Amino acid sequence: MTGNPGPTYGVGIGWRPEIAGFVADLPGLRFTEVIAESLPGGGPLPPALAALRARGVAVVPHGVRLSLGGAEPVDPARVRHFAEVAELLGAPLASEHIAFVRAGGLEAGHLLPLPRTREAVDAMVANVRRVQAELAVPLALEPIAAIFDWPDDELDEAGFITEILDRTGALLLLDVANVYANARNRGTDPVALLDRLPLERIGYVHVAGGRAHDGIYHDTHTDPVPDAVLDLVTELCARHRPPALLLERDGDYPPAAALRGELDAIAEASGYPTIT
Amino acid sequence: MGSLADRQAALVATLVAGAPLPPGFDDRLVGVARSALLRKRAGEVARHWPMLAATLQDRWLPVFADWAAVRPTRGGLRDGWDLARQLAAAGDLPTAAAEELAVREAGWRYDGTTAPRRRRWPALRHAGRTWVLQVAGRVWTLPLHRR
Repeated sequence: MTGNPGPTYGVGIGWRPEIAGFVADLPGLRFTEVIAESLPGGGPLPPALAALRARGVAVVPHGVRLSLGGAEPVDPARVRHFAEVAELLGAPLASEHIAFVRAGGLEAGHLLPLPRTREAVDAMVANVRRVQAELAVPLALEPIAAIFDWPDDELDEAGFITEILDRTGALLLLDVANVYANARNRGTDPVALLDRLPLERIGYVHVAGGRAHDGIYHDTHTDPVPDAVLDLVTELCARHRPPALLLERDGDYPPAAALRGELDAIAEASGYPTIT
Repeated sequence: MGSLADRQAALVATLVAGAPLPPGFDDRLVGVARSALLRKRAGEVARHWPMLAATLQDRWLPVFADWAAVRPTRGGLRDGWDLARQLAAAGDLPTAAAEELAVREAGWRYDGTTAPRRRRWPALRHAGRTWVLQVAGRVWTLPLHRR
């Protein structure tokens, strides 16, 4: 599936119950995403999501609890649920993270970074294959924003991501806000990372806001999208425009006009039509 | 250096259960991550227990962080329930939060170790002078004013 992520959707926004009315009112919307774990595997869909499907809007399930980077095999019940939700939505693809969320019987409560080691690549690849075996559509993998790194990395970030994608045939869900956050916190160049990633493998892109706290930039999804992230969207699209760019907002929802402004800014930065 | 499984378990224990920092990690950055996780977790508890978070005001985040630092999450509902009971036992639960707890206690059976289950029988609980009656899943609060 390399080089063929499917049709072009343009700008979208993550569907959340709190902003279902706002999302429903976007006249040009063709692409959205829903947290996979928030839906019942056997259905039914929330009426607002079903209405979007009936309108022809593509809805992608985005998993956050599979823990694909965990050393232990991914929980088969979670994989089954993920695949059921993708089917329920008639989704063109599904997505999860290059991360782990639990270990030793404890839940971390958030996405945690993997050591960039061969052993971690092997664990991740094995779990991705388990998911792909159940899933009827392509899987896209998202590299996360990490506040800290492991002490014993054997690969750099681009090498680590590319090896996982190469060995699984998965698509890349590139989160430009994560790229920005990691580069800012590590003091590296985000554009240099773009230049080393397989951009033609991008299934879609995430855009989100964040804020600095404790001297660290946090990818909060509850703050406005900084101009620097929009600049990165422009840099990315100048190299390879992805089929879809999706705004993630997960709380502290601003007035509709502000959200529309963020969607318009992403459209302008990417060259896609506005959807508002 | 142990297996990936052991090292991931040690890191999660550091982040959510107060275990010591594994060797080689940046103490400050892992601390920042631990604080960010606690803030996120506090937000999830506050969604289940809005009066608990609201009535503690400025104390909410420090009180929750102090309580949660050595207690891995059991989900926002149970985390808030456990904390509210502890504060109630210490006489440190504000009135509106105590009523919120009484409503939950009347409607659900929660033994503190397994998931809460809806009560099948009527129950009466009180918080100060407010009584909470649950019958068939419906809840009434009865402020009894003494002369």
